[in-house]
Amino acid sequence: MEDWIIDLIKVVFIWVWCLLIAVVMTWVERRASAMMQDRLGPNRAGPFGLLQPLADGIKLFTKEEIIPEKAKSILYVLGPALFALPAFSAYAVVPFGDKIVLGGKEIILQVADVNIGFLYVLAIGSMGVYGMVVGGWASNNKYSILGGLRATAQLISYEVPLGLALLAVVLLYGTFSLREMVFQQSGTFLGFLPNWGFFKQPLGFILFLVAAYAEASRVPFDLPEAESELVNGYHTEYGGMKLGLYLFGEYVNLGTLSAIIVTIYFGGWQLPYVDMSAFLGPVAYGIASFLVFFLKQAFFLFLFVWVRWTVPRFRYDQLMGLGWKSLIPLCLVNFFITALLVQLTV
Amino acid sequence: MMSGFETIVMYLGMSFIVVVIMLVVSALLGPFRPKPRKATTFECGVPLLDPGHKRYAVKYFLVAVLFLVFDLETVLIYPLAVKYRDLAQLGWGIFIEVFLFVAILLAGLVYAIKKRAIDWE
Repeated sequence: MEDWIIDLIKVVFIWVWCLLIAVVMTWVERRASAMMQDRLGPNRAGPFGLLQPLADGIKLFTKEEIIPEKAKSILYVLGPALFALPAFSAYAVVPFGDKIVLGGKEIILQVADVNIGFLYVLAIGSMGVYGMVVGGWASNNKYSILGGLRATAQLISYEVPLGLALLAVVLLYGTFSLREMVFQQSGTFLGFLPNWGFFKQPLGFILFLVAAYAEASRVPFDLPEAESELVNGYHTEYGGMKLGLYLFGEYVNLGTLSAIIVTIYFGGWQLPYVDMSAFLGPVAYGIASFLVFFLKQAFFLFLFVWVRWTVPRFRYDQLMGLGWKSLIPLCLVNFFITALLVQLTV
Repeated sequence: MMSGFETIVMYLGMSFIVVVIMLVVSALLGPFRPKPRKATTFECGVPLLDPGHKRYAVKYFLVAVLFLVFDLETVLIYPLAVKYRDLAQLGWGIFIEVFLFVAILLAGLVYAIKKRAIDWE
């Protein structure tokens, strides 16, 4: 087969796969929330309500297109698209498995192994804020504008700790390639721990996790769409598939963030202590590495739901205070310690 | 390494096409029964009093300015962080440089906090 056909198949497969994760995630979120609150949750559409996301999708597609009279109509339509585009695209550089050999051809399980993969994720990830602020502004509604402003201030505030926490990781691994980072996490650390970024950067991991929750504007940092204060934040005026793109983009973002956490801090597709490639055939190894990565990612996806029903929402001043007065100084301290340790061990 | 970027462009193109299809298809599939009431701005059940675009707190701009400074800082340190291991073998010079660079910015952060630039009351 030609190389570009393989690339195209890979692109389509991964694109559909990451969207599928988001679709199932909407179901998991509702079922798990119901479980934690001793309710049943959606259970009518299909077995265990598994077809609920499909039903929701059909409903959103067949809703009437309403553009509020006060809204700026072009920007109003552009907002959801601007939000969904980067959300759908950030997954392109995540290594979701090692490699698989099919028909004598070695295929790496990653859409694009670029040497600046890491910067691509950060750059694309921070583009989503435009969708929020454009949507909020174009709605011409007080709740929407407040939600959009809050979203902007929150996302740009937490991008700094996010970038600074990852700075220590880059310093540790000495590369921007996500694939290379996974390779560096094989083997053991101090003789008995898996050689994962988590054990080398425990503080960095916690800082990154907190900043990731704020970037995804999830509880406890869901201030942009705090329903008890702002109705629904920046997407108050939206309905139909335009609302669907906002909600769906958020779930895709969760998938991307979980994948990044797994790649950087939890060894990617590798199992601790076991070298899967030693006893599995080339095809089985590819599938196994893919599944290991998915299981790790699924754990962090579930953690998002779990935290949602455990921690109450922050106040806005507490949110900004936490970001600027605690996370950023701690990130810089973490960076210093890492630099010092690297300096002492070279 | 250029082949990687080609697939990224393919990926972006796929996202773009699907987003456009989603928006267009939903606009075509839905019913069209406009009523003046439907197009009014949402306002918790009472008639709209004043437009949405109002003045808002200057704090948001302050946060944006601070963000610029610290994000640029991160961007400036990234290339250094990648090459840190190589440079560290030459001695302590690079560590002292990083220390000075970050210390100056940390002083800036302390100043901003002391000036209550990020206090929301």
